[in-house]
Amino acid sequence: MNPVELSLQNCIKCNICVTACPVAAVTDLFPGPKYEGPQAARFRGSDQPMPDSSVDYCSGCRVCNMVCPTGVKIAEINAKARGGMVAAGAVSARQRLRNNLLARSADLGRLAQPVAPIANAILNNRLVRIVTESVLGIAREAPLPSFSRLRFSKWFHGRPKTVSAKRQVVFFHGCSTEYYEPRVGQAAVAVLEANGIEVIVPPQGCCGLPLLSNGEFDAARDYHASNISSLLAYAKQGIPIIGTSTSCTLTLKEEAPELLDYYGEDAQLLAAHTYDFHEYLLELLEQGELLMPRRPIPLTLAYHAPCQYRAHRIGRPSLEIMGLIPELNIIESQAACCGIAGTYGYKREKYQIGMDVGRPLFEFVNSVGGSVAVCDSETCRWQITHATGIETVHPVELLAAAYGYTGCDRVEKAIAGS
Amino acid sequence: MAGKPDVLVIGAGLAGLTAAWQALTMGKRVRLIAKGWGMTHWHAGCIDVMGEGVDDDGGISDSAGHAMAGTAAVQPDHPYAILGRPKLNEAIDSFAQLCRAYEYPLVGNAGKNWMLPSAVGAARPTYLAPETMIAGDLTDQRPMLIVGLSQLNDFYPGLMADNLNAQGIPAAAVTVDLASLREVRHLNPVMVANRFHSLTFLDEIADAIRPHLNGAERVGLPAVLGFEQPIRVKLELEQRLGCQLFEIPTLPPSVPGIRLHRILVQEIRRLGGVVQEGFEVVAAEISGSRVLRVFSEAGARQKSHAADVFVLATGGILGGGMVAAQTGDIKETIFGLPLSGVKAQQDWLSHEYFDPQGHAVFKTGIRVNRDFRPIDETGSQFAENLIVVGTTLAHCDPLRERSMEGIAVATGFWGGRQAASNESS
Repeated sequence: MNPVELSLQNCIKCNICVTACPVAAVTDLFPGPKYEGPQAARFRGSDQPMPDSSVDYCSGCRVCNMVCPTGVKIAEINAKARGGMVAAGAVSARQRLRNNLLARSADLGRLAQPVAPIANAILNNRLVRIVTESVLGIAREAPLPSFSRLRFSKWFHGRPKTVSAKRQVVFFHGCSTEYYEPRVGQAAVAVLEANGIEVIVPPQGCCGLPLLSNGEFDAARDYHASNISSLLAYAKQGIPIIGTSTSCTLTLKEEAPELLDYYGEDAQLLAAHTYDFHEYLLELLEQGELLMPRRPIPLTLAYHAPCQYRAHRIGRPSLEIMGLIPELNIIESQAACCGIAGTYGYKREKYQIGMDVGRPLFEFVNSVGGSVAVCDSETCRWQITHATGIETVHPVELLAAAYGYTGCDRVEKAIAGS
Repeated sequence: MAGKPDVLVIGAGLAGLTAAWQALTMGKRVRLIAKGWGMTHWHAGCIDVMGEGVDDDGGISDSAGHAMAGTAAVQPDHPYAILGRPKLNEAIDSFAQLCRAYEYPLVGNAGKNWMLPSAVGAARPTYLAPETMIAGDLTDQRPMLIVGLSQLNDFYPGLMADNLNAQGIPAAAVTVDLASLREVRHLNPVMVANRFHSLTFLDEIADAIRPHLNGAERVGLPAVLGFEQPIRVKLELEQRLGCQLFEIPTLPPSVPGIRLHRILVQEIRRLGGVVQEGFEVVAAEISGSRVLRVFSEAGARQKSHAADVFVLATGGILGGGMVAAQTGDIKETIFGLPLSGVKAQQDWLSHEYFDPQGHAVFKTGIRVNRDFRPIDETGSQFAENLIVVGTTLAHCDPLRERSMEGIAVATGFWGGRQAASNESS
């Protein structure tokens, strides 16, 4: 038995997860993690009928895992159950089409980014959104990101190569930086290079998380295998693989191996060398190797540590690094989740649940005000902006600005307005 | 808070939270990490200090102080005996004051235990109870009506009333059906509690109960009277019903327990402390007589946590601070601290489930000196900057003594202060 299934034996039915679950708190469609996870899992033997399709309403935020006093991997039990439903043909073809459209961010980006202005015009067209909602079930209000006119990897390879004998890292940009928000990757490169670190951006694919959270395990396995083959050589040389997308790095570290039973030596080596961006910077800081940011950012900003970040169980490295920026005052949200949970909040039947889940966070962000809000995860940033109208940046954009990099328009605008 | 904390507390039960709170009041930088939420979400939300004292013929004691003195006399290594009465009182009083500051008074009964009804109608001796519970005291013979909600499972007013009647307490039972709860597929105490923020819901529940009063002078409800202002909810309902109201603890999740959790976490954050769950501490690095850091399980690799002083508040076997193996081995999970009271596996449990002597396995715990530093059987100290608090301690049997919360609060309180001063007393 793998660690996920084994962990269900630890459940003592204390209901703490049900108390903390942000989804069960706002909808009856999801009875709660205990029922869907460790309890229903006992009925999910291969020769038994599926207990309940409501497990699909689990958003995968992992708040349950974090509060569980006995270490049950509830969110993973639920994700596996969803994978089982897909494999057993219990999900309709139309839903799977929709889920795959949402989950194949790399394919979508490759197709649409080269024609970004046209693609954006189509995706922002109200009529198109009404039609895609009724035909495909993609919520018309949900915050689809805009394709960038610039592709991150193209920008990166188009600039003069910097070399450092001292330190090298591989940057795992993820689909969002590659196709939607290259500014995050540019800020990351600025921060790393300011510290004298050579950045390597090898060919790489989607981490596979959107597919994993839609139960499309076979497709996710292909992505993971392909990432292992393109990144393994670096891991073998001991070069850290760092990413600004908290969910991508979590997938490489843990989610893909656990959900896909992908425990080969290569997958483990890749996992062992994968770091969240600020987790890596924090190690540099502890070794006394991190450049201190000097430019003051006199702003008071709301920060939300995304669920996928908390699920790394590494604390709040980005909060600690932002704490080094002179005059920056960051107020951390205590909200459970923004509600979007990757692709969850884009689905017609789940959009409102996502918005209801995120309400405490939106209220917090609005109450702090400020010209921008701060969050490490891309879909959370889009959701926060969608719900509050406040533009949202990745912590690395603030750090880059504090190093003197002026390429982060949102941060510069905010500083200018302060 | 960035960087290395002065004090790292491991465990988010009452003991750990209280320790973090106290170290913060002494101006220290404090981080509390925990595997998950714990005992506060299970327990009744009262502070049991000592229910059954050893000097009390095995019966139920009505005087916590009396029972405690007896315990200290026969068990000089009991955590209460280590602390002494004045320190115990100061800790319990400070805790009550904190709750009062959050408009949630915990009240004592002039040094005596309250006798509050459990969910099956048994008398539950407890020292401090929230104001929302005390009208249920069973030393008072006034007739009561026990009210259940049809949609809230696992609460049986009929069973409770029968048991109360058998003890000579006049009690009637009714289960009311509330229209606003009918559409809800799954209901737990927390969900009901969240509804009490609405006045409409208060009216609805009062209207449903009123026809069944039949001269009852007090009404017992499952403990779900909201999180934010339970005292106000109680008063509002009492006004509508014209009689007193009391809460009865439920199966988990326990609303009164969660209220205490929220007060402590709020206070810790107000004082600049950090509380983070999802960290299962699994190992430690020790050099000479000092703990340098502990390591928690995390994605792909362990996370290291350095600090000047460490407070271990991971609980006993139920809390996960100790694990018992089939082989008869019982281990403290992080440091492998020497344990006292370990018995062979066949002697862990008594043959009688309700044996008044309790079960031997629950007496297993960590030996400490007068400064709550762990020691081995020769009395030699394990580390100078490690403090152990809560029900993981040896020489007590919190379940049988009914001293679980008292030990947690009192040792957490003084352990937190010790950690902040990091000096031997």
